[in-house]
Amino acid sequence: MGHGHHIEIKQETFVVPARAKQFSMIFMVVGLILAGIGIAKIDKSAAGHDEHAKVEVKAEGHDSHEAAKGHEEHTAAAAEEHHTEEHGNVPNENFGPRMEYHTIEHPWQTKIWANLLVAGYFFLMISLASMFWITIQYAANAGWSAAIKRIPEAMSTFIPVGFIVLLISVFIAKNDIYHWAHYEHLGLKPGQEGYDKILDGKSGFLNSTMFFVFPIVLVTIWMILGRRLRNLSVQEDNGTKGDITFHNKSIRTSAIFAVIFGFTISFLAWFFIMSVDAHWYSTIFGVYNFITHWVTAITIMALLVAYLKSLGYLKLVSNEHIHDLGKFMFAFTIFWAYIWLSQYLLIWYAQIPEEMYYYQIRFEQYKANFLTNLVMNFCLPFALLLMRSAKRNRYVLGIVGTIMILGHYHDVWFMVFPGVFGPGMQVGLLEIGVFMFFAGLFLIWTLTALTKRGLVPVNHPFIEESAHHDVGV
Amino acid sequence: MGILDKKLSLRNRSKMLVGIWEDEDKLVEATSALVHDGVHIHDIYTPYPVHGLERIIGARRSRLARVAFFCGLTGFILMTTMIWYMYVLDWPVNVGNKPVRFTPSWIPVMFEGTVLCTAYGMGFFFFWRNRLLLGVKNDLLDDRQTDDRMVIAIECVEGMNESDVLNTMKSNGAVELRELINGVQTTI
Repeated sequence: MGHGHHIEIKQETFVVPARAKQFSMIFMVVGLILAGIGIAKIDKSAAGHDEHAKVEVKAEGHDSHEAAKGHEEHTAAAAEEHHTEEHGNVPNENFGPRMEYHTIEHPWQTKIWANLLVAGYFFLMISLASMFWITIQYAANAGWSAAIKRIPEAMSTFIPVGFIVLLISVFIAKNDIYHWAHYEHLGLKPGQEGYDKILDGKSGFLNSTMFFVFPIVLVTIWMILGRRLRNLSVQEDNGTKGDITFHNKSIRTSAIFAVIFGFTISFLAWFFIMSVDAHWYSTIFGVYNFITHWVTAITIMALLVAYLKSLGYLKLVSNEHIHDLGKFMFAFTIFWAYIWLSQYLLIWYAQIPEEMYYYQIRFEQYKANFLTNLVMNFCLPFALLLMRSAKRNRYVLGIVGTIMILGHYHDVWFMVFPGVFGPGMQVGLLEIGVFMFFAGLFLIWTLTALTKRGLVPVNHPFIEESAHHDVGV
Repeated sequence: MGILDKKLSLRNRSKMLVGIWEDEDKLVEATSALVHDGVHIHDIYTPYPVHGLERIIGARRSRLARVAFFCGLTGFILMTTMIWYMYVLDWPVNVGNKPVRFTPSWIPVMFEGTVLCTAYGMGFFFFWRNRLLLGVKNDLLDDRQTDDRMVIAIECVEGMNESDVLNTMKSNGAVELRELINGVQTTI
């Protein structure tokens, strides 16, 4: 471009402000306290003093008897009733016998682990999405984003933390969270009572070995490539201006990352989230999960850019960049709704029992959550971000962004909890506490990662273009 | 022609000065210089968007976004009415025992209708406003302004020093200078 006034490209060093440290510390501590209160408030009486008190959970809530029951009532009495009144629910031959419920051995501990699963998965996917964001900027030869490149880079350093939290939670509570794991644990043969044709058919893919090996291998590959990209970025900073060898290497690495990531990201969604409802499947589920976290990652990026800007950093970034990030938020909000509907509409129309029950339990037992999901992730952001002036306003972006982050966290929670625990779950103090703890951790982790290197990729070949970025009047 | 924005029309102007550029950087410099001298620029015609130009000449924000919104709204209302008429009022069809009133199956129709009307509406109004619509007679100051040349048009007003303006244009890289009197261009 090169028109207009000259902008000096200067390196900036970020120091985490004391207030941000305090803020994230307070967030984490309050989160822990709330989670503690939440744990204390869980009804632990269900946890077995004896055999009969175990919580029985139905995977499908399409029975009108079940509809009226809360979670707490699923005690021994309900379990008895369940066996006697369940004849209307004869397994359909076409779909093979379905396992109707499985016994959660440690109901209240499972609640904690499932919360950690949601938090770990959410923040892992966000950091992966930010890595992917950098790679598509390279692959598309995008110039405007060069000045804000360090922010997604810093966010992507959270990958190992999120992944470890996720792995710990599923390692400990796998058999309670996942029907298929519980079933695998039983090791039933054809003809035995409780034999499940569908789960057995899926066991070639959905088994404990694959469950751990596949994601670990994938995340390792992504981490190696991501690390390489971040290193190239630092080497470029330390190199000379006009040297594009590192940039070209970054493009190649990005292309490799983007292709591998594009083909394999669905595996995480399949293994960790979709297998919660192991009898159910949706071919668009991977895309849906990706887009949920993609839009959240962009939102967090926009908020961080606005925050750093308000502290006086990122002198090259102007309202134009914030406007573009706002456009991204708006566009992918619509895309999220598009994918959401693509999944919902086909299942609603086809009305195949095998597919239906995922939405049946969510629509009938969790109507408030179902609508909240749509309102927070589509209706509100769509209406509030429609105007150009809204996308250029930090405060509007802050408010809408917060709604979107919470909404998408709730979206992931909503994918997991009804599937694991059946009807009657609510977003309570435990959920809020866990989210606050990890949000605080993510914030301080990202800000600390930002201090590790200069805030401006000074030798990036597109930094001039980015500094002069202008979306027009 | 008459229904279009009359202010933009180049007809019936008593006298205009026209400068032709081949280089966008020089065009931007010339524009800055002219604006700096206080010359009121009628319009600038470029074959592609030149960054920063609209800010220099103080162009207002394009109303295309608002046009897009209202086209979208029109499409949304049109399609909702259409599917309601077809599917509820005129000929309800039982498809898989689904309800016929507002259902998720309406959404694709409404969505596609909205997108269709937005896209076509924007295209139509954009070309109409820029006089590029088929059948609209366009005012091209230079045939190559849609290809590789850029044109600045300045309307001569009372008290304007024409030779100064011509000199500014010349010294800022204009490859050709013309004057337009009653629709006839002559090279200076």
